[in-house]
Amino acid sequence: MKQRITYIVKNPESFTPSQISVQNDAQRPSFTLTNVDAVKEHRLTLGLDELPKEISKLLQQWHELHIRWASDRPYAAIPPFTSRVSPGLHLFFTPLPSTPDDAFCAALHSFVSPGLKCASMGETAIKMPVLSERFRMSASWQYYAYLEDMEAVGRLLRGKVCGEAEGKGACEDWVRRVGEASYVDVDYDTISRTVVVTAVWDSDGEEGWNDTILLPSPDATVEIGVLNHESNADAEDIQFGGFLTVLGQDDRPKATRFQTPTRHYPLLLPSTSASEPPTLHPLTYTTSLNQPTGLHPTLTLTLPAQHLTPPSRTCKLHAHLTLPSYLFIDKYQFTDPLFLASHKLASLRSLSGATDLEAPDWVVQQCASAALFELVVPEPERIPLGPIASRLPEYGYVDDLASYKEVMPTGDWNVSISLHLRYLPAATRSHERVPVPWSVVFWACRADAGAQHPSNPFDRTHLGYEGLFGPKTRFMHVEPSNGTHMVEWIDVPVLDTRRAGWVEGGTVGVVVLAFLGLCWVLFGGNGNGRRREEGKGQGKKTQ
Amino acid sequence: MALSSYFRSPPLVFSTSIILRAIFLLYGLWQDANSPMKYTDIDYYVFTDAARYISRGQSPFARDTYRYTPLLAWLIYPTVWPGRFWFSFGKILFAIGDVAAGWMMFRILKEYRKMGDERALKFASIWLLNPMVATISTRGSSEGLLGVFVTALLWAVLAKRMPLAGFLLGFAVHFKIYPFIYAASIIWWLDDTQTGSNTGSKPKRSKSLLDQARTFLNPQRVSLAIYSLVTFVALNLAMYAMYGWSFLEHSYFYHLIRIDHRHNFSPYNTLLYLNSSPKLTGLGSTTPSFELERLAFLPQLILSALFIPLALAKKDLPNTMLAQTFAFVTFNKVCTSQYFLWYMMFLPYYLPDSTLLRSGPIGIAALVFWILGQVAWLQQGFQLEFNGHSTFVPGLWVASILFFLVNVGILGVIIRDTKHKVLDDDVVPEKKRL
Repeated sequence: MKQRITYIVKNPESFTPSQISVQNDAQRPSFTLTNVDAVKEHRLTLGLDELPKEISKLLQQWHELHIRWASDRPYAAIPPFTSRVSPGLHLFFTPLPSTPDDAFCAALHSFVSPGLKCASMGETAIKMPVLSERFRMSASWQYYAYLEDMEAVGRLLRGKVCGEAEGKGACEDWVRRVGEASYVDVDYDTISRTVVVTAVWDSDGEEGWNDTILLPSPDATVEIGVLNHESNADAEDIQFGGFLTVLGQDDRPKATRFQTPTRHYPLLLPSTSASEPPTLHPLTYTTSLNQPTGLHPTLTLTLPAQHLTPPSRTCKLHAHLTLPSYLFIDKYQFTDPLFLASHKLASLRSLSGATDLEAPDWVVQQCASAALFELVVPEPERIPLGPIASRLPEYGYVDDLASYKEVMPTGDWNVSISLHLRYLPAATRSHERVPVPWSVVFWACRADAGAQHPSNPFDRTHLGYEGLFGPKTRFMHVEPSNGTHMVEWIDVPVLDTRRAGWVEGGTVGVVVLAFLGLCWVLFGGNGNGRRREEGKGQGKKTQ
Repeated sequence: MALSSYFRSPPLVFSTSIILRAIFLLYGLWQDANSPMKYTDIDYYVFTDAARYISRGQSPFARDTYRYTPLLAWLIYPTVWPGRFWFSFGKILFAIGDVAAGWMMFRILKEYRKMGDERALKFASIWLLNPMVATISTRGSSEGLLGVFVTALLWAVLAKRMPLAGFLLGFAVHFKIYPFIYAASIIWWLDDTQTGSNTGSKPKRSKSLLDQARTFLNPQRVSLAIYSLVTFVALNLAMYAMYGWSFLEHSYFYHLIRIDHRHNFSPYNTLLYLNSSPKLTGLGSTTPSFELERLAFLPQLILSALFIPLALAKKDLPNTMLAQTFAFVTFNKVCTSQYFLWYMMFLPYYLPDSTLLRSGPIGIAALVFWILGQVAWLQQGFQLEFNGHSTFVPGLWVASILFFLVNVGILGVIIRDTKHKVLDDDVVPEKKRL
């Protein structure tokens, strides 16, 4: 078992090396950390033979399996933890030829939640779209369900994972802690035959982290890093400095500094000097639903217009949505240039999964749909510098060729995406409350080199959207604005069965009566005097 | 009077109907080019996308929600040619179809209802100058195209051109299924009085069963049956050969088996939602359902394909077809406003001698209730669709039941009128039989 624990200090100026110490006790080496305000990543690497049989057997049914769960609580995205997925549970996987079709749902129901929508892999999971065949690095199937927290899953897993071994207490404690993470990744593939569990916590309250890390057993490896994100002259690299400790080997934390190319970048303000710590770009987004939502909700992404300058010329702003099956996108709406422009959308680049345009939710077997939109960004306004302005000292000397300056418009930039709701099952209430997870927003830019990402110790893949871009792509992530949950809720009107008692009897009764009445008009009442009179009256008029 | 002189001139009325459609078409082009809200019907994008698939050698069913015969996509094939004009080709075709149907209505009114130009034009204008009809075809909905086929069918039958009538019937059923109900009324109508072979009316009771069958199977009926069947089967075989199972699945089975429609005017709508939605488990509040909605086709078909033709066809064919269509739409499991066009094309034959037009109060009441029923439903539908209020029960359900009852009432008037009309003509044989 290998463990790697990384703390990325949020405010490097408030951190001193005295906050960390190593006790190299021969019996039980340990690492202590006091009041460190940091984002923490805990990565656990386990061989198949180190796992309980049940879980090891389960994993071996897959060629590869990648679980991504993200909380709906906003978290600070300090590099390298900048990449995001929509809140909820995402699974990306490729079955082996021998995997039975029902294995997926059985595993999902027994290890995650028995209530999740899953009929069979072929029906429920989504075939992953791949726009770039050359870059076939993604798994072939995708599953999504909105899972608000991992507590219930943790409870379910504690018994299965921790068993009755001696380290049961510590194990259970760890599973519980993972349940509180901002996001959790689990990766398995047949080639490495190892499982990597990665959990990331935003912070540990106001006091910061007060951790004591023990070496669990003499043959275990525990590596601890306490790092700062630093500025780097190369725009394609990210750089860290700080301390690394290998428990049991190192007597004290060792100073370190390294830089690595990466796939996912934080969106930073252009730095003025290399010595200053990098600062996050003020561009953030919020998501809202136009009210009233009705049966055709509109999802609006709001961004501050003045910050929407592309980080470089090749960058295009994108939004990646993962929608549970009760919501769908009508791809045909997004073909009209006028419609796209009025919603500030450039194009619907990809759509996969549950896209039936009519079926109610209970008929749709697929769990979700995923869409990638390219967004339009505001054009800078060219403000001409008149003869007076050009003489003002603040503009300096302005020649005739560039007698204007470019200014981004101010205010909110609202991008809207039209969605449609499916009918939900009739229920004993008038509305059903359903979640709509926020989308992920990022600039996709051209990278100069086909980056050597495996050398990045924090590389993160299988997020559902990288496969839709070429290999030479850099993702510059836009942060969701702070303080709101990254999920919206819709009250979907449903047929209220409490008031529908009369519907069946009433409908059938009215139809039968109407039918009988019409039959009587058709065949009955012959020789009826009144009618004949009317008939004659009519006849006279015609003649 | 200016208005009456206007209706005395066929060129004037037909030019107006053409200009009306041209204006709508041009306005549509303008709105489509300038507004994200499109004038063009969503279905038109479905047809034209399907035509584009065909042009690439693919199946029209590659387009989601294409649930029509591939012939329709073939018919508007020029829409794949570049340019806005060619894209509108389908709408122009549908609009021409409209006017052609109106022309045939005018001819039928003159020849078979013995009307003068003015009166015939006035009633044909219910179709020709109806903004609803013009809007539907210029927005690119194919329902209007059916008008030309069905009106041509009626004309061919009245003109006793059975091979043509048979072809049109087979074609119309292939195109939209529901016209099969007309087979019953046409066949029943084509008795000896129509074929002209009952020169000497002999006592009918002495005939044996075989004789009766022989009399029934007169050449006209046989010819209509053969031509329509051959056309229908040939078209389906051709389409099946080209597009296989997906043709049958999307063009036919989809319409027959689907029970999960979103809200529409049909009285069954709420019941279908209730009974197709998965049953609540664990709460124990499930009441046993008899799934009677599965039998919904029974009253619909018994009325429109059996009882109405049997009772009325021999008395007045166009009126019978109106009553059949009205019954079919009213009792259907799905009903949207486009379906109203199906019976609207028969109104010019029925209205002239109808109670609805002769008796002011009844006619106005019928119209007012028909509109109010729709308004009530649309208001509830709007509350659901756009404001998210759960108006399924009682609002939408009550509104659809009321609208259904209004339609049943109007249907009752139509049936009674048709029955009486013949009572007058046939007073003598009626008395003999008694």
